[in-house]
Amino acid sequence: MVGLAGLLGSAGAAQAREAASSLSIKAPHFPARAKHVIFLFLNGGLSQVDSFDPKPELDRLDGQPLPGATVRTERKTGNLMRSPFPFKKYGQSGIEVSEIFSKVGEMADDLCVVRSMHTEVPNHEPSLYMMTCGSNQPGRPSFGSWVTYGLGTENQNMPGFVVLCPGTPVVGPPLWNSTFLPAVYQGTYISNRETDPEKLINYIRNGRVSLVDQRAQLDLLAKLNQTHLERQRESDQQLEASIQSSEIAFRMQAEAPDVFDITKESEATRQRYGEGEFARACLMALRLVERGVRVVQIYFGNQQPWDTHTDIQVQGKLARQADAPIAALLQDLKSRGLLENTLVICGSEFGRTPVVETGAKFGIQNGRDHNHFGFTMWLAGGGVKGGMTYGATDDFGFKVAEDPVHVHDLHATILHLMGLDHEKLTYRYSGRDFRLTDVEGRVISNILT
Amino acid sequence: MNGVGSPEAVSGRFNPWQCLFGLCSLLLQVFAEPADHLADKVYLLRGAGKRWAMLPAGNPDNPGGDTHPLQSRSHRLSLYKGHARVGISMNHQKGRVVGGDMVDGRGFPVGLDSVDVFEAVLASLMPKNDAIAALSLGCDVSAFVLCCRKDVDHHVRSAWLLALGGSSMTLRKLLAVLLLSGWGATLFGQELAPSRVEFFEARIRPVLAKNCFACHTETHLGGLRVDSREGLLRGGNSGPAIEPGNVAGSLLIRAVSHTMERLKMPLGGSLTAREIADLKTWVQEGAFWPETVVSPASVSATGKYVIRPEQKEFWSFQPIAKPPIPAVKEGRWIKTPIDSFIGAKLEEQGLKPAGPADKRTLIRRATFDLLGLPPTPAEVEAFLADDSPQAFARVIDRLLASPHYGERWGRYWLDLARYADDPESREDLILLDANAFRYRDWVIKAFNDDLPYDTFVKAQLAADLMPESERPKLLPALGFHALGRKEEDDRVDVTTQTFLALTVACAKCHDHKFDPVPTADFYSLQGVFKSSELQEYPLVSDEEVHAYKEITRQMKEKEEEIYKFVQVQKAVLADILLAQTSQYMMAAWDVMKGHNTSELAASGAGLDLRTLNRWIKYLRKNERDHTYLRAWDSMMARNGTRQEAQLLADGFQRAVLAVVLENKQIEERNYIKLGGSEGAKDRKVKDTTNIEFLEIEKRYLWRDMVDDPCKTNGCQCGLLFEGGIVFYGDKGDEHHGFFQLAEEDKIDRFLQGEWKRHLARLRAELAGLKKALPPRYPLLHGYRDSDHPQDVHIAIRGDENSPGEIAPRQFLQILSQGAPKPLTKGSGRLELAEAIASPENPLTARVMVNRIWQHHFGQGIVRTPSNFGQLGERPTHPLLLDYLARQFIENGWSLKAIHREIMLSATYQWSTSYIADNYERDPDNRLLWRANFTHRLDAEALRDAILSVAGSLDPTVGGPARQLTEGHRRRTLYSVISRGDLDRTLVLFDFPDPNGVSAQRTVTAGPLQQLYFLNGEFVMTQAKVLAERLQSESGNDDLAKIGRVYQLLYARPPAQAEIEIGLAFLAKSHSGWPQYLQALLASGEFGSVN
Repeated sequence: MVGLAGLLGSAGAAQAREAASSLSIKAPHFPARAKHVIFLFLNGGLSQVDSFDPKPELDRLDGQPLPGATVRTERKTGNLMRSPFPFKKYGQSGIEVSEIFSKVGEMADDLCVVRSMHTEVPNHEPSLYMMTCGSNQPGRPSFGSWVTYGLGTENQNMPGFVVLCPGTPVVGPPLWNSTFLPAVYQGTYISNRETDPEKLINYIRNGRVSLVDQRAQLDLLAKLNQTHLERQRESDQQLEASIQSSEIAFRMQAEAPDVFDITKESEATRQRYGEGEFARACLMALRLVERGVRVVQIYFGNQQPWDTHTDIQVQGKLARQADAPIAALLQDLKSRGLLENTLVICGSEFGRTPVVETGAKFGIQNGRDHNHFGFTMWLAGGGVKGGMTYGATDDFGFKVAEDPVHVHDLHATILHLMGLDHEKLTYRYSGRDFRLTDVEGRVISNILT
Repeated sequence: MNGVGSPEAVSGRFNPWQCLFGLCSLLLQVFAEPADHLADKVYLLRGAGKRWAMLPAGNPDNPGGDTHPLQSRSHRLSLYKGHARVGISMNHQKGRVVGGDMVDGRGFPVGLDSVDVFEAVLASLMPKNDAIAALSLGCDVSAFVLCCRKDVDHHVRSAWLLALGGSSMTLRKLLAVLLLSGWGATLFGQELAPSRVEFFEARIRPVLAKNCFACHTETHLGGLRVDSREGLLRGGNSGPAIEPGNVAGSLLIRAVSHTMERLKMPLGGSLTAREIADLKTWVQEGAFWPETVVSPASVSATGKYVIRPEQKEFWSFQPIAKPPIPAVKEGRWIKTPIDSFIGAKLEEQGLKPAGPADKRTLIRRATFDLLGLPPTPAEVEAFLADDSPQAFARVIDRLLASPHYGERWGRYWLDLARYADDPESREDLILLDANAFRYRDWVIKAFNDDLPYDTFVKAQLAADLMPESERPKLLPALGFHALGRKEEDDRVDVTTQTFLALTVACAKCHDHKFDPVPTADFYSLQGVFKSSELQEYPLVSDEEVHAYKEITRQMKEKEEEIYKFVQVQKAVLADILLAQTSQYMMAAWDVMKGHNTSELAASGAGLDLRTLNRWIKYLRKNERDHTYLRAWDSMMARNGTRQEAQLLADGFQRAVLAVVLENKQIEERNYIKLGGSEGAKDRKVKDTTNIEFLEIEKRYLWRDMVDDPCKTNGCQCGLLFEGGIVFYGDKGDEHHGFFQLAEEDKIDRFLQGEWKRHLARLRAELAGLKKALPPRYPLLHGYRDSDHPQDVHIAIRGDENSPGEIAPRQFLQILSQGAPKPLTKGSGRLELAEAIASPENPLTARVMVNRIWQHHFGQGIVRTPSNFGQLGERPTHPLLLDYLARQFIENGWSLKAIHREIMLSATYQWSTSYIADNYERDPDNRLLWRANFTHRLDAEALRDAILSVAGSLDPTVGGPARQLTEGHRRRTLYSVISRGDLDRTLVLFDFPDPNGVSAQRTVTAGPLQQLYFLNGEFVMTQAKVLAERLQSESGNDDLAKIGRVYQLLYARPPAQAEIEIGLAFLAKSHSGWPQYLQALLASGEFGSVN
């Protein structure tokens, strides 16, 4: 890899072009608190009352009907069901967190737990769209695309918006699509099922051609394109973008395998993250952010592992795979001085009901249905107050009772932290100015430092 | 499109400057004045009842739906000023005073409206100089009522509710919160209060639009319209909706406050407290409604949806005109009428045409346009050599006659038809539909045969209802919908978007916000599709079909027999093994203590080794979901004696057997409740029967002992749960197709003698049947009319549980002459198809010629090809569009004739030359002063072109789809198009998502695409094949080879500079030609057309 710096250096012309490229860093609307976002997506639906929103009333009234009007969720539900997991106060802030997230709990003083999230539809697809693209319908750019569109990215050798998932979440690529935003802002999806960094990215390696030869080939390509460009008497942005992409692609070959190679981290570090796809993804996220990637979104697993209709105990088992890596990621971001400018978000497309689901699919009645009326997400770092909770659900954790935060509000806040005014970050398409937050959204100012 | 994008919602924002100003002045007050002084001015309404929050109905904190603190079910409220009780204490229930007292001890008359009483008291108590009075509610202060002084602010008599957080608010905090909530402006004086217009646009219209417009505009449910002041005053069936100035007497307010038993609005939800308060304020102040700029569709006296004349006059609903060919002054370049329409506009704008492209560019453009392939060098040479005026016409005719034409243009159609080779599926397991391709091939053939477009349309909607003689030829067309999602809504959407470029699906929940499409129209069409059902049309004799079905039936029976047998044996085996629980545990204890190996322990005690190993593994686990082994675990931890272990093992065995027995009894009772085996199989019965379950801890114990590995956790079996200790089964039962039991985990190992032989026999019989099963017979996916076609109800707000009026099956009102005629023949599908494909229909022909134009020019004359409505773009050349549409119809709906007409124009043949002056005025080339670039070939053309130039393309037309692997040498459209798992390379190059209608390809460029060109196996292989081709054609002569490859790839000879670049590279490069060629294939020129 020694000669690589020299090789990269020879692409001077391309670099000069890049100065004006669409991915180069752009000034925010106002000073930003966060430069990077890591979104840890526990796809399927994290149960708030079993994780970050303790409800003593559930223990008291376990097995009894939900007082008041019945709330309709997607499936047939029954009586209140207590959480099988005990909660404990953590840190100076004393935020209560379930034992299944005890390691994340240890980081309580860095967390801002928003317990009053709500959205509109209790189905995965629309709510996934809402959480990532700000609309219940497909066809809108992902929040990561908006952010890179607004700010560009720091590392020109890597894509600005990276999506990691072992397999794909339900819905799939539309969740990181740039749709009408220019294509450079599309999320680069990488299936982190593979452990071998060389296999993580399609076509990242060329077994036959050496990098030296490829550099020569790329210079040839640049010359060919240049002559083609000169024959046309005006600038051709698309062709220039393509030349630019070739250069990123070439440099990615050198940088990406290294970034994704978590064996470069010390044994001790890796041990704190533990085993498994999600653990590896968290460590990759750390390395990506460290190298200036703007947005990293991690989906916990293929399809929707957190969709536990049958047995809520399963969330305990899933949390065991999520807890340590998340805590380790927060610690490492902190110790490497990255947490102050990296916003970490964790949550799902919606939460789960405090009542049991009664569909007798598997002969067990210990699960919870989808719940969009009230759920929890937490944020950390990047200009968010640590050690606080914001908003509240009712006594049972079903519906928002205080300080409702819609997904649009969350998006507005994310953009705000990144230095972007969600009402000003617009893109004209189909005769209309589009925004991530549509015509809604309100920055949750109480949670900002 | 929903209402939130409507202009009124966007424009009606709070004036930020006013807010800011108000905020600053209040902040100054809050922090400049001593808190106590301020406290003096603040009135607090304290609740003595239990926690209460001002939240919408249905909110668990407010389950009764009380929307006003003073209307909460039951409450005692007292008024304080600072810390002193100054006003009243009042008991009230559901908005009425039921008791209480004044400060001076006088009682209240009961039965009055609590709000009125409070407001009266407040008004009388408030000193004139107090700026504000805030009422805090609930002992934990979760909400506030804010009132402003009468003579300062006109909002005095209304209570504004703010739902705010915090449990121990100080006054200072309270005020700060109020300020931050944007109330600064209204708090301070008239001059800062938002104007009535702003208030209306920011607070009232959006609320009405979001919550009420769906049912109370054109649909006018209950006879009520709420989109104008007049409508509200006129009211509906229950009388006027508002009485300006009288909040209590206004039905609208009472309905949204949920104070009436029968009328609670909006249906199924409620407004926020703040929204209700806003509405009250608004009514109180006279219900100001600004002059409307755009009046909505009107409703006649009878309350029927009526399309307004100006809506009818919208361009796309006008009959297709027969426009005169415009005159062009500088018209020497003009070749065809198209040029006159284009030229007239150019002249009008003072733009100069770019002039013709050279012949090489032209033939490359035409060939990619019509075939999606590059021209061969021979074709280029022939065209260059042809000097006659008909040279290009001959090229066009040759291309239109090519079978590859249908592949290119058929594929565009398939984008619209959301064609895929697999059925809609969210499962991991994607099953290919072996017959889907028949629709794809029919489309290709229809294009190649130039099937008249009207027939093409009708066949795809109603081939089964067309004349018998045409049916066999047209039946595959039904795949258009039959392969799509099995939902009528999707069919309405796709039909109207594709053929009519109307977004009728928007009218599912409300009358279309912009186009004259009432909700009823959506359901009129939905009724047509609901009156049709899926039907397979086998392509073999009835006997063959019957034979196939018979064997499948027998196979099912056999599988069932095996399943039942295994179930019984499984249960017996489980009982046996569970009865040995204590023995197994003790053997495990021995092994875990290191007294024995598991092999010896098993053989010594006559136990099954695998089962023993499972026990050992289980007992070694340090986490359990149940507590039954707690004593055992602690015994192990403190290194208990054999006797202790034995005692605990015996106890555990008893517990296990009791739980298993209880489970059996429960299962028996459930079986009866569900109505036996038939009921137990029925998902609906299962979902609706209240069956019993083991208590959860027992359930976990049962699961750990007995359960099937996959059953409990669905698809996550491998991840979470490895199955019960005594579970031994058959492959595949209860599984999802991915999971296979290991041989040792199958029941077979435990079976002996006749039992073993019986299972073997059953399996052999099943295998025999499988062998005898012929491949599934070929068939066409289509549909037919149901036996009982019927109209459907309008689903109010799209909710099928709230049926509205019947929507008779009929065509869209806006496209009907006079009142739409009911569709009466069967489902009405054929009549619908005929109405769409009618030459009288103003949309169908226009939409299709526009789509063709778009694929030739990169942009349509209407640049929103699937939306010819209000939100769509207007045509850049409306007369040209009409001219083409008319030509189309008059030429018997011939697509090839339209291609010819377009391509023979000088406009089509422009070069892409840049003219600075033109560019200045028309940078997007809307007026077509030059040709547009095709910046990057689409996924299919790119791959096909690479194969083509390398000489490795297999040109066979049609046939079953296959995966897009390295060995696939056919055109890309013949690869598997999957809804659930679209090929990565296709996705990488923006192949459209087959889950929806796609009218235009997007073009993206990213580093991953470049990696594909740099390192992709396909590109490297083809570069090598191309190198071999050149070698065999031109030998070792680098110069000749460079010349040849430029002809092949770019249809032109190389420039001297390019030759030099090439030779220089080849001289230095290690792997030479393939690498050089790979770069040429990756170049912008190869991947684009101009």
